[in-house]
Amino acid sequence: METSFLRPNPSSGVPIYLQLIEQVKHAIETGALRAGEQLPGIRPLAEQLVINPNTVAKAYRELEHEGVIELRHGAGAFVSGNVRPRQMTANVRAGQAIVAGAITRLRARGLGEEEIRRLFEAQLAGLPGKGERSA
Amino acid sequence: MPEAIIEATNLRKTFGHVEALRGLSLEVHAGSLCGFLGRNGAGKTTTLKILLGMMRPTSGEARVFGRRVSDSVASVEIRRDAAFVGEDKPLFDYMTVQDVIRFTAAFYPRWRHDLEQHYLATFGLSPAMKVKTFSRGMRTGLALLLALCRNARLLILDEPTSGLDPAMSEQVLQALVRHVASEETTVFFSSHQIAEVEQVADRVVIIDRGRTMITAALDDLRAQYRRIHFVFDEEAPAPVFRAKGVERMYRDGRVLTVLASAGAERIVEEGRTLRPVSVDVVPVSLKEIFLESSGMEG
Amino acid sequence: MLWYKAWLETRWRFLIGLAVLMMFACGAVLDYPAIARLNASVSAIDAPGNLGRLIREAAATQRTYRGFIWFQWYRQNLVQTWTILAVLLGSGGLMGASSGSALFALSMPVSRMRLAGVRAATALTELLALAVIPSLLIPLLSPAVGEHYGLGETAVHSLSLFLGGSLFFSLAFLLSAVFDDFWRPMLITCAIALSQTLVGALAGLPFSEMLRVMSAESYFRMGQVPWVGLGLAVTTGLLMLSAAVAIVEQRDF
Repeated sequence: METSFLRPNPSSGVPIYLQLIEQVKHAIETGALRAGEQLPGIRPLAEQLVINPNTVAKAYRELEHEGVIELRHGAGAFVSGNVRPRQMTANVRAGQAIVAGAITRLRARGLGEEEIRRLFEAQLAGLPGKGERSA
Repeated sequence: MPEAIIEATNLRKTFGHVEALRGLSLEVHAGSLCGFLGRNGAGKTTTLKILLGMMRPTSGEARVFGRRVSDSVASVEIRRDAAFVGEDKPLFDYMTVQDVIRFTAAFYPRWRHDLEQHYLATFGLSPAMKVKTFSRGMRTGLALLLALCRNARLLILDEPTSGLDPAMSEQVLQALVRHVASEETTVFFSSHQIAEVEQVADRVVIIDRGRTMITAALDDLRAQYRRIHFVFDEEAPAPVFRAKGVERMYRDGRVLTVLASAGAERIVEEGRTLRPVSVDVVPVSLKEIFLESSGMEG
Repeated sequence: MLWYKAWLETRWRFLIGLAVLMMFACGAVLDYPAIARLNASVSAIDAPGNLGRLIREAAATQRTYRGFIWFQWYRQNLVQTWTILAVLLGSGGLMGASSGSALFALSMPVSRMRLAGVRAATALTELLALAVIPSLLIPLLSPAVGEHYGLGETAVHSLSLFLGGSLFFSLAFLLSAVFDDFWRPMLITCAIALSQTLVGALAGLPFSEMLRVMSAESYFRMGQVPWVGLGLAVTTGLLMLSAAVAIVEQRDF
């Protein structure tokens, strides 16, 4: 699993810890990570990706909060036993359908691709505190 | 809040007629990987040198590990637990790698010989090499090795990756991350490479013209700073916002742009009362925040 | 390791200086027979004025082997060369080879006083060696030209040179604490030293006292060690070194 983590992009506008969360979720979805499997430790992962260890810690805490992983004291981080890849895939599929419908309707109103993209980004970014939990 | 490893209060430093530091205050906490940003001439190197006792402030006080930097005896103690890598990677040019290592190790009884071997290999150095023949990358490698092997609690680096190729830069950053994570070191480094600071730092101190402009956790900056565009039917108004956090406002025809350092939601609410045609909220990159605090037009 | 660093910073000046001085010492002794013959014919010259007086005095002094050694070695070759070396070793101070070296040394957990102190002590030890070792060649080699030169005299003269001349070292060291470059302390001190030896000697000015003290002239002529002169030189030198350390403590790097 260690080698398949991608280096996050610090300048992308998406906080690094969110990028990590996405990567873990995606790995679970595609089956690269299975229920009960161990994730890399916070320090080794931080060193491997050359990012701040607090960022990794934050991503792991958030994933634990969402029930995606379990942090076992002294043992490490493990993918939750009750996470079923198919359930995540179903969510993503449902999401795809919603987005497809929204884009069709926006196109019908004459909006171009770039404008649609900006609308989505603005909506996501315009909610300060989205995805944050107090540390 | 973990203990403050570095605390500077109202530092002033004058060189002849030039005021390099004009009341600069900052704090760096234990275990932090803190970036120190500022334009050339803002006072970064001066600040770092004062912290290590190479320069004395004209007024104001600074403490490292709780010890006063202006006290010569305390300053020696500070350097027992701290490491400095200057911008030009100062070394003894007339020595060999082995000599420089032995010289440094003589001052640090907790010298890490295991790390020494590791970094010699990582940076491609061998004991017999002469320092005066070194390229920039090799100097940086050796300077870093000397800093990291002494088991210091604090690393102070002045532009550690300047002039380095991307691979070497990454190795430097990786070494810093490793030491913060596993050796419980605090790192305070100045840099012009904003992307690198965004990558590894958890906190950032931005200074301009001898004063601290911003001191914050990077995550907070990312969460709080927003650029808000209001587009109007006609000429954009110039409102005075009651909501706090407006750093800057500019009008360009029918567009009013607000740069907010906090409270974007309230500003958007207030702005909506002016009946704009559209409202756009976008995140602000660290580079923009930096340029903004250095007085450059966004 | 501080001593090793100071050694590395000064070793070429020391080694080359030592080699040169040892060559001069050998040269002085081995040249004696030839110079002695030359002297015999020079005494007949009758030049006017101060210059003429000096020439005649010089010739008179060098009639004996002891006088010859004193005049050629302790009053000229050794003094001149050694003083230059004292200035060379005193210049550069903490800066060493470059300001980078100073910053690196200053980032170590060692006080500035110790850094400067070790540097000064190393250089002074080298200067002592430079005064004594080549001078020891004289009693060693004298039998080769059928002469004898006492160890006691060697000791007095070489130590007088060292103690008296350390003043120039201290001056260069002090100036190095003030100026950042290598050249200004060197040139200023050399200028002062030159005015002491050359000009002073010719014009008979009181400044030539330094030369008299360093060459222990009073001992040569009357068996009186120039205690007062040496004491003043050493005291002044120590004051200058203290001032240098005080400056180094306060200044920015």
